[in-house]
Amino acid sequence: MSSRVLPQFDLLTPQSIPEAVAMLAQHQGQVSVLAGGTDMLVWNYIRKVKPAYLLRLSGLDDLDNVNYIPGEGLRIGAKAKVVQLLDNPDVAEKFPALFQAAETFATPQIRNMATVMGNVLRGSPAGDCSCAILALGGQVVLQGPEGERLVDIDDFWVAYGVTERKDDELAVELRIPEPTSTTRSAFIRMTRVHEDLAKLNVAVCLEINQNTCQQVRISMGCVGPILVRLKQTEKMLVGKQISDGLLQQLAASAQEEIAPIDDQRSTEEYRRQVAGVILKRVIEKAIGAH
Amino acid sequence: MRTKMITLCVNGRDHRFEAPVNRTLLQALRDDLKLTETKYGCGTGECGGCTVLMDGKDSICSCLTLAVEAEGRHITTVGGMTQDGELHPIQIAFIEEGAIQCGYCTPGMIMRTASILANNPTPSEEEIRRGLDGNLCRCTGYEKIVQAVQRASQMMDTTQIQKSGGMGQ
Repeated sequence: MSSRVLPQFDLLTPQSIPEAVAMLAQHQGQVSVLAGGTDMLVWNYIRKVKPAYLLRLSGLDDLDNVNYIPGEGLRIGAKAKVVQLLDNPDVAEKFPALFQAAETFATPQIRNMATVMGNVLRGSPAGDCSCAILALGGQVVLQGPEGERLVDIDDFWVAYGVTERKDDELAVELRIPEPTSTTRSAFIRMTRVHEDLAKLNVAVCLEINQNTCQQVRISMGCVGPILVRLKQTEKMLVGKQISDGLLQQLAASAQEEIAPIDDQRSTEEYRRQVAGVILKRVIEKAIGAH
Repeated sequence: MRTKMITLCVNGRDHRFEAPVNRTLLQALRDDLKLTETKYGCGTGECGGCTVLMDGKDSICSCLTLAVEAEGRHITTVGGMTQDGELHPIQIAFIEEGAIQCGYCTPGMIMRTASILANNPTPSEEEIRRGLDGNLCRCTGYEKIVQAVQRASQMMDTTQIQKSGGMGQ
């Protein structure tokens, strides 16, 4: 049930990260963090959440940027919008899976508002940027009362909509490691209509040397309560020459490894059938991309 | 009621008023400032009816933006596109191409078009169609809207857009 009026809340507008963390600690469990607002305010409209406080990030400097640091990788600040991934030539060149996820993400207006970090914190198994980030690997930087801690993206989502972030922690940055000259990545999603949420999405990041796969990370979305790595399928690929026959085996393995359900966007049966097909396509897309 | 004194700069004019903190920018425009040209459609950021420009370039959904978050930004609604009683070239192009039927989506379409052209004065048809992804029209079927954006692009002095850093005031 949606309402045209947001519920009542108080606003918190910290001017520094320590102040924000102190506020989160003081009002533990009663605060929702507001950055882009494209999920958070919808959740308030439908009363899925009814926080006593909304903590705005607007007063915090230094969290706005998408920076590529040679030798280290990509740094995405908590307030960086999805559109900034498209405006940054380093993302297109070095992190194509993330660039492709941003390209198909929602609508232009939402890309101007939504943050990349918000997509990760939402903890949806359908998150497009999240799917790409899981394949690329990386870490979420959390600031809490005890200081900073880094959580591997592989461990960040613990259940549907639930993350490793504690109530008194502020997620401040995403870090994605530097690719090598042999790293290839790609992202594909399937939707009912363009602006819809994914019914299935997949991303892959491979180390390829003379058509032999040396390392790989495959992530798939909408096939379980959280985004998943297809680790069995990854093992079948490592050390192998990529061939049509191998791609067929990977597709069959992917179908076995996922646990999709029927919902309003698709069915279990359909998702299982197409999962193998889009896995083949995303690997081909990654290898073809330079 | 938790309220806050805020100043919103809309169409080049500052408005200072006391707003509930849970007020969206769309509600502030329509209900506090009585600038009702910006429309409520879905309320969840999917239809684009509430699209306004921030700082002359960025199109956003005013239904998913708190009014307090828009403080310090320059907001342009379709009402701000008209200068000294003269319609903006984008408005003229929509009229001349007949890109309006019931008109409900038009304010959002015009503001999204302003954003498309502010960022890319000569978009291809593909870029226009992709650019209008977030604006739903239930009457016209988009063909005439795409033609209107093309016509507006031809009508406008692109160097002027780039020099002024965006659209509107």
